[in-house]
Amino acid sequence: MAAIEAREVDFTKRRKRKKVWTRIGFWVLIVLIAIFLLFPFYWAINSSLKTEPQLRMTPATFIPRDPGTGDISITLQNYTAAFQNRTFIRAILNSSIVAVSVTVIALVIGSFAGFALGKLRFRGKSPSLYLILSMTMFPQVAVLTGLYAVILNFNIPAIPSMILSYMLFTLPFTVWVLTSFFQQLPTDLLQSAQVDGATPFQSFRMILLPLTAPALVTTGLLAFIAAVNEYLFALTFTTIEPDARTIPVAIALFTGQVARQDPFGEIMAAAVLVTIPLIVLVLIFQKRIIGGLTAGAVKG
Amino acid sequence: MCLYTEPEDLKLAVAAPEKLKPQRQSQLAKGEQKLAYWLLVPTLVVLLAIAFYPLGSVFYSSLTSERFASAADAEFIGLQNYSELLSLTITELPAQVDEATGEVVVDPDTGETQYESPVQVLPREPRRYSEVFTFGWFGSQYVLGASDADFILSIIDTLIFTVATIVLEAIIGLGIALTLNVPFRGRGAMRAAMLVPWAILTAVSSRIWEWMFIDTRAGFFNVVFQKLGLSDGQTPFLADESFQLPAAIIIDVWKTTPFMALLLLAGLALIPSELYEAAEVDGASKWSQFKSVTLPLLKPTLAVALVFRTLDALRVFDLFQIVFAQKKYSMASFAYYELIDSQRLGYSSAASVVIFVMITIFAFIYIKSLGIASD
Repeated sequence: MAAIEAREVDFTKRRKRKKVWTRIGFWVLIVLIAIFLLFPFYWAINSSLKTEPQLRMTPATFIPRDPGTGDISITLQNYTAAFQNRTFIRAILNSSIVAVSVTVIALVIGSFAGFALGKLRFRGKSPSLYLILSMTMFPQVAVLTGLYAVILNFNIPAIPSMILSYMLFTLPFTVWVLTSFFQQLPTDLLQSAQVDGATPFQSFRMILLPLTAPALVTTGLLAFIAAVNEYLFALTFTTIEPDARTIPVAIALFTGQVARQDPFGEIMAAAVLVTIPLIVLVLIFQKRIIGGLTAGAVKG
Repeated sequence: MCLYTEPEDLKLAVAAPEKLKPQRQSQLAKGEQKLAYWLLVPTLVVLLAIAFYPLGSVFYSSLTSERFASAADAEFIGLQNYSELLSLTITELPAQVDEATGEVVVDPDTGETQYESPVQVLPREPRRYSEVFTFGWFGSQYVLGASDADFILSIIDTLIFTVATIVLEAIIGLGIALTLNVPFRGRGAMRAAMLVPWAILTAVSSRIWEWMFIDTRAGFFNVVFQKLGLSDGQTPFLADESFQLPAAIIIDVWKTTPFMALLLLAGLALIPSELYEAAEVDGASKWSQFKSVTLPLLKPTLAVALVFRTLDALRVFDLFQIVFAQKKYSMASFAYYELIDSQRLGYSSAASVVIFVMITIFAFIYIKSLGIASD
């Protein structure tokens, strides 16, 4: 009797120990994932707070330290330099203009098309859907030479060129996601609006649009981020117009105030400066973004 | 089922539904159709202007010798650009023969046969071929030569990059998603952290990693490699041929795995928990639960995510252009440099068409296999 009891105690002990080890393993995994996700950005912040001699220190330190004494010493000079860098400030302005215009145009035009595809019946709907879906996969590089030739021939400035050409990847995506949102909206609502004497356009503006506002925010945000991120067209179109460079191009071609090779302290400061607002934006809307990405990718 | 109608029509229809129905239907349908077309016009006009027209002009100029900033008129040269881009040859490398003795030269240290250098062997007419790589096959040595070795290499590298990143992203993404699917304190914070790599601009992340990979111990990876005794701390990760692709793969995996994990997490949330409970009752182990419940139900999500990632990876540009410039090309960065640096509009267009065709074939297979649920 006593032996059985002892064995049982032993057994529960072992189970408990096993549970503890699983818990520890689990948390180790979580910490590893967190390091994997965040370390490069931490490294950028770390480097951005170092002076030129500190950046040259070998081995590199994991927090900014004084080369002589080894004490922690932080500098903000890279940030001041980045703020004084006219190309960089200009790039932020350019990117804002381009991304905001792209978002607004894509949403306006896209919601028209999305409404037609999601709620109206017409001949050729199925081919239109196929067309839009295939356009979401269209490789930009395929039209690079063609667009660039047009821009050079007609002397179109870089900023309008970017705004128009970014429709290539924002518009099909916007239409596709909005179509699926419109499809989900109840039809009864529209019909009762008609009974009340609303024209189709009125019901679109007064009933559908307010209902789809959340979808518009999500797709708009995704279009905005895609437009800020775009690099191939921006780099090509600003080749002969450096003043129109956007953030990615400016960061890629970053040069210091003194001509020298790649001032990484300043580059990292600029990188941190443009990343923080984006991260804040993304965190505020995180639920919506995940929903939008899933709708864009999983909706087949 | 949405019927658009003018109020008058509606009243008529109510008054005499049977008699007027066919006419009303067609009139209604016509109105609805007209509205739909008007709403679609802006989108179609924009796409026509920035996708179809330029695509047509790219196809056309790929058949010409057009250059920017050139006084010479563009000539129609048919498929010459394509044959220059894609011509391949496989030639056997003959063993080196000592002229004095007439014997095959053998390395005295390793005992290996010495072969002629590829430059001697590859054809020069009608166009000069250069070496892409050499390989052994059944005891003989061969060289793969291409008239544009850079482009062929860019295709090979892009394909390796695509396969490697997709596989790693799927495995790591699945691992992260399964870990974060377990409820724990701080799960929300982890989900937020997952959006960080996604929110960082590709150009920015490329420069951060470029700095981490720098060729002295001022860079993170050289510090780590030296501490682990793997190198002297001077490894030129981004210039050394054997480290270039692995570095590019790591950078891309870091940037896009969280996105994959988020999609998979959304997919995991859709699996009903009753299925796991039933499996538990049946005494299924965690591993067999994963194999017979999780994986099959997650497969559609995984498939779609992988397809999107594949399409993205095939057209990778930012990462290669920023990190490697002209030290290593992806297909897209090759086309870019031919256009901007070499100013060869026709030739670059031909390269773009090749990329377009490759991606289209893939996308076509994908759309066919998924299909669209239209009414």
